[in-house]
Amino acid sequence: MYNAPKPKLEDLPTNRQLQRMSIIAAIGAVAIGVMVYMPAEHGVDPTGVGAVLGLTEMGEIKQQLEAEAEADRLLHGEDDSSSLIDRVFGTFVSSAYAQEAWQDEIVFTLEPGAATEIKATMGEGATLIYSWVAEGGRINFDLHAHAGGENVTYERGRGQTSGEGSFETPFAGDHGWFWRNRDDETVTVTLQLRGEYSAIVRSE
Amino acid sequence: MKSFFRRCARAPMRAACLVLSLLALSVSSALAHDVTPGDAGYIQEIWGVHIIPFIYLGAKHMITGYDHILFLLGVVFFLYHMKDVAIYVTLFAVGHSVTMLLGVWFGWGINAYIIDAIIGLSVVYKALDNLGAFQKWLGFQPNTMAATLIFGLFHGTGLASKILEYQIAEDGLLANLLAFNVGVEVGQLMALFVILIVMGYWRKSPNFMRQASVANIVMVFLGVLLTYQQVAGYIASTA
Repeated sequence: MYNAPKPKLEDLPTNRQLQRMSIIAAIGAVAIGVMVYMPAEHGVDPTGVGAVLGLTEMGEIKQQLEAEAEADRLLHGEDDSSSLIDRVFGTFVSSAYAQEAWQDEIVFTLEPGAATEIKATMGEGATLIYSWVAEGGRINFDLHAHAGGENVTYERGRGQTSGEGSFETPFAGDHGWFWRNRDDETVTVTLQLRGEYSAIVRSE
Repeated sequence: MKSFFRRCARAPMRAACLVLSLLALSVSSALAHDVTPGDAGYIQEIWGVHIIPFIYLGAKHMITGYDHILFLLGVVFFLYHMKDVAIYVTLFAVGHSVTMLLGVWFGWGINAYIIDAIIGLSVVYKALDNLGAFQKWLGFQPNTMAATLIFGLFHGTGLASKILEYQIAEDGLLANLLAFNVGVEVGQLMALFVILIVMGYWRKSPNFMRQASVANIVMVFLGVLLTYQQVAGYIASTA
């Protein structure tokens, strides 16, 4: 007690007040734990309050991401997933060959919460030109590749309705998009591709 | 994975390893993207206005941010009147809200290690202040309200750096940011409520004054530890 006036004992809250505060805190902690924390972190919502507050969706997304990260870790091993992530953002060239015909057109539909992956099998130093539009809602995507311990992220986006551009591969493998619908509506995406690729790989 | 490839260098193993590698590659090609889990992962998947989720995230950030809680504990340690508690906590809230909102809005990308080191020092400062160290060393008591406000500004800058790492979508940014700020204050009040209960019981104990000195010395050490961790992290990140 050096930097504040000295207290008198009667200034302190009474034991009764403290007991009442403790009871309120305990009830509050249990209520928040069940109605807020459990929905927001685990997607578990026994009272239904979490869904009303929009927190259950958060918990479900977190659980889904957690499961995906765990699957990723098991398959990739821990040492090469994060440290080698090599982000290439500036490699976009606006398509100079716009008048050329597209080689492939892929149309897919995603329900809310659904995801899919569409990739092109490409060699090193190959170029892919693309254009896509989403109808019915907005879409999230991650344009990337990983093969043999190497990673590249070309572009990420969320809540988008169209995109176009091109990329050049730094290594051989499957390069392409992870698409996920986080909108409330079913979304249909039309993706057009052209460039140096040998096959299109699709996985759910 | 690395050790696997190292073992594959030996000749007799090569054929088997080739098959295994192909298998591994075919499996990983079917894999998802580079996943960001947790709060940041959730934020990076959404756009638009989400008031209650951002209030929750703000409150969670405050309650789980032990550096902020430690400073708050230091500030109210010797405040017995609710009026004083309200004044000081408001000063701290104003301080951190200003820099948090401005920092995110204008994208002040201050190095998180440096700002967290300063936040660690704010804990050291407040604990030393509680111990009466500045009166002994400087011969006067530095203004405690000004210190609370100024350190609040630093805490807000730290919050802003964390929020920038979350990469909140442009769509709905202002509303979500304000909701996050409301959440930070809600979290602070909830933490304060618990702190005041504990302090209320503790202050009634006849040994409080003696134990208070020990507690503030411990707080100095914790602040030094926080600062040390951040400085070490900064050095490691630049090396």
